Amino acid sequence: MQAPPTVPDVAPTAHTRTYPQFLWQALRVATDGGLPFYAWMTALTAVFLVGVNAFAHQTVEGLALTAMSDHVSWGMYIGNFTYGVGLAAGAVMMVIPAYLYRDEAMHDVVIVGEILAIAAIVVSLAFVNVDLGRIDRIWHMMPVVGRFHWPVSMLTWDVVVLSGYLFLNLHVVGYLLYTRFLGRTPDPRWYVPFVFLSIVWAVSIHTVTAFLYSGLGGRPFWNTAILAPRFIVSAFVTGPAFIVLALQVVRRLTHFHVGDPPISTLVAILRVTVLGNLFLLGSEVFTELYSGGTHTASARYLYFGLHGHHALVPWIWSAITMNVVAGALLLSSSARRQLWRIDVACVLALCGVWIEKGLGLIVPGFVPSSLHELVEYLPNQLEWKVTLGVWALGLMVFTIGLKVAIAVFSGQMHAQKGAA
Amino acid sequence: MSPPPPTSLGAIVFLAACSTEFADPGREVGPAVADGAAYPTEVHTPTTLGVVDTPLVDVNGTPIGVACATCHGPDADSAWAARPGEPFHTGTELDHGDLACDACHDPADRGRLHLADGRSLELGDTMQLCAQCHGPKFTTWQNGAHGGMNGYWDTRRGPRLRNHCVDCHAPHAPQIAPVTPMPRAHDRGLHGEE
Amino acid sequence: MDDTSRRDALKVGGATLGAAAFARALAPLTEWEPTTSVDAFLQRHYKELDPAELGTILRRLEDETLEDYGASVSIEDVRPTPGVRFGYALNLSVCIGCRRCAEACHQENNHDRPSHQSYIRVLEIDKGSIDLEKGRTDYDHAVPRGDKFYMPVQCHQCDNAPCVKVCPVEATWKEADGIVVVDYNWCIGCRYCEAACPYHARRFNWEKPEIPAEEVNPDQAYLSNRVRPAGVMEKCTFCLHRTRKGKLPACLEACPTGARVFGNVLDPDSEIRWVLENKRVFVLKEDLGTRPRFFYYFDG
Repeated sequence: MQAPPTVPDVAPTAHTRTYPQFLWQALRVATDGGLPFYAWMTALTAVFLVGVNAFAHQTVEGLALTAMSDHVSWGMYIGNFTYGVGLAAGAVMMVIPAYLYRDEAMHDVVIVGEILAIAAIVVSLAFVNVDLGRIDRIWHMMPVVGRFHWPVSMLTWDVVVLSGYLFLNLHVVGYLLYTRFLGRTPDPRWYVPFVFLSIVWAVSIHTVTAFLYSGLGGRPFWNTAILAPRFIVSAFVTGPAFIVLALQVVRRLTHFHVGDPPISTLVAILRVTVLGNLFLLGSEVFTELYSGGTHTASARYLYFGLHGHHALVPWIWSAITMNVVAGALLLSSSARRQLWRIDVACVLALCGVWIEKGLGLIVPGFVPSSLHELVEYLPNQLEWKVTLGVWALGLMVFTIGLKVAIAVFSGQMHAQKGAA
Repeated sequence: MSPPPPTSLGAIVFLAACSTEFADPGREVGPAVADGAAYPTEVHTPTTLGVVDTPLVDVNGTPIGVACATCHGPDADSAWAARPGEPFHTGTELDHGDLACDACHDPADRGRLHLADGRSLELGDTMQLCAQCHGPKFTTWQNGAHGGMNGYWDTRRGPRLRNHCVDCHAPHAPQIAPVTPMPRAHDRGLHGEE
Repeated sequence: MDDTSRRDALKVGGATLGAAAFARALAPLTEWEPTTSVDAFLQRHYKELDPAELGTILRRLEDETLEDYGASVSIEDVRPTPGVRFGYALNLSVCIGCRRCAEACHQENNHDRPSHQSYIRVLEIDKGSIDLEKGRTDYDHAVPRGDKFYMPVQCHQCDNAPCVKVCPVEATWKEADGIVVVDYNWCIGCRYCEAACPYHARRFNWEKPEIPAEEVNPDQAYLSNRVRPAGVMEKCTFCLHRTRKGKLPACLEACPTGARVFGNVLDPDSEIRWVLENKRVFVLKEDLGTRPRFFYYFDG
């Protein structure tokens, strides 16, 4: 988190004392809490360490330890990467009401979305890294010292937009928390432009991620213009769904005030996006299956199985069922009176999209292979371990971010008198 | 440097391609090769002509071959050939259209061949004989697109050895027999193999 | 001891335990040998090396091969010949699907022995179609079968190569003679090129290749058949360690039917030019606009 060069009513030199103080107090808050907090963090740490250990084995012995092959050369990791980017982009669905529509109630809790964006980007970047065959050569991708194949390679665009989004959100969150810590009113000039930029940027991160796949002419399953819109809409399902759940956890476990209006707003968004996502999926399915032909082999494999291979069929139908039920629950439930039904819908939507954008999107792109060989893929135990480890890392980042933010907002964390 | 691909991104791709030049342009290509064909292209000489296997084997179990002239002399077939139930040629399957022996073999000297116009040929000149009927194939062969080769594509830098028709096609039954394919790759995940 | 200091003590204890667990989780990394030296780690991109640096690297790679595989090899940097652009054509009317080309590739290019890897994959397709979906690669019966034809597929060395476009670190590029190469020491192993290739021409080294010392082909080049490290991509290079010296590719020499024709398309007298001008050639998946330098044709 970076300190702004100046805050109007604090002497510039004071930051050299108050900023370390801010970090130190943040560290204390991050490691201090009740039993549930310790239990939660210990559990996450344990899962994370299992993942780290699995990753260490994978690094030493090679990606041969995964279930991926020359036929299905991306799997669980890249699927989760895609999903993570969506989660990060979806967080902007709090920012838009808060800043574009001046929704005051949302404005009070928008920091939750921004912290989610940070955590989700950390998750996404981690998934790209664990997927590399030669992580020791990651520096080859750095501009100037390496050979950054920009602007031709879409992967370099993705690196640019993901890091950009990470820094935008780190800046906004860091700035807001730090000024609150100092007891000052944040200066809009220092964060509002970045917030607006982050709204555009959020769309870009998931669009570029879709372009990674849709730009490949040799993979007809991905080579569709609808992919980027699908990614964006499904991101606007997962982001709000996650935040609806997170806000309720915050409301129950902390003193941070979370009113009903932000949740209602997010549920209203979800009602549209869940259906929009199903509509786009349906359009895709129709186009693939009605026209038929060799190019639709992947879709046939995914939904019905092909030549006796149908590993993904139960997964994708589960996903569709979850999304449909989520949509039905969202449309038929009142966010005020039947919040538990909304919660069930959010969980279903999160799981449904996870399958749809993970295994259901990445894997069929490779099945059948470009020479129509049929090699199936399901993640093995090691990939599950690494995957859960990365998500545990993301949840730790999210938890700590929230904890520090709440401490600052509730006044528990503030600059010592005289320092400011 | 290849021309930019005809895509809308062509200009970008071209710009990027320019940025990937060699730091030391002298390394981009190697030395040129001098002109002129310096090395010959030879056609492999078949080694199995003029001999027919017999059912007899030597001490090592190798079939004993007998030269055509042993039975089919220049003047007349010997008594061996006239023997009823003679064991020779039993291994010779004739499956070459409706051709009779004498369509190719010189009736007067079975150790020689003859063209359609009657000109006599050495056994080693089968190529010319085959070409009488298989003209287009022969043209393809002449242009290097049939029959395979070994050595150098660039004959300025080394010799080349070409196959002869009968290296691959048995003259009496030119259709190549089915073969067992070499093993395929055991890909990760392919058909249950790890 | 007051509450705060007890908490702090607990935190320190927890942090220590956590750090110890973290170290334990990472313990397998002590056996990691990604690169043998600092030089190898810091090695720059192939195109940025001057001849002296490249020479040092080639000797280091030869030493590594001796150490890891027990084989004395010679690794060269063979450059394209001016005035040469390679082309390759394959006659589907005479290919019998015997996989001798794939086998020759396996041996020539120092492929991993247990997986029997090869840059060439041979499809057996029903006559009356060139739909790859009607093809199989796993046939084991005697070939050729009358109702099938056979289509070997390898890298098409596309002029508009999707794999080259997508590489985020320029580890793969097209050379002056048309061959698409990989700097195995620069590739980061993201496998984006493998996803982009429409011809299944690229392979990933999921683990370190295994080859008995006596089977290692010692005639190697930096950009082609040297033994690849784990975690990087590899592909057919038209045997550039042979072809750039004027020799025929190994797959062509192995072909028992002469289905394969290779040469310099810039030479009007070459065999490849004769085929391109006189046979009705086609390329695989032409609709993708990849512009392959590998052609197929039928007699007729």
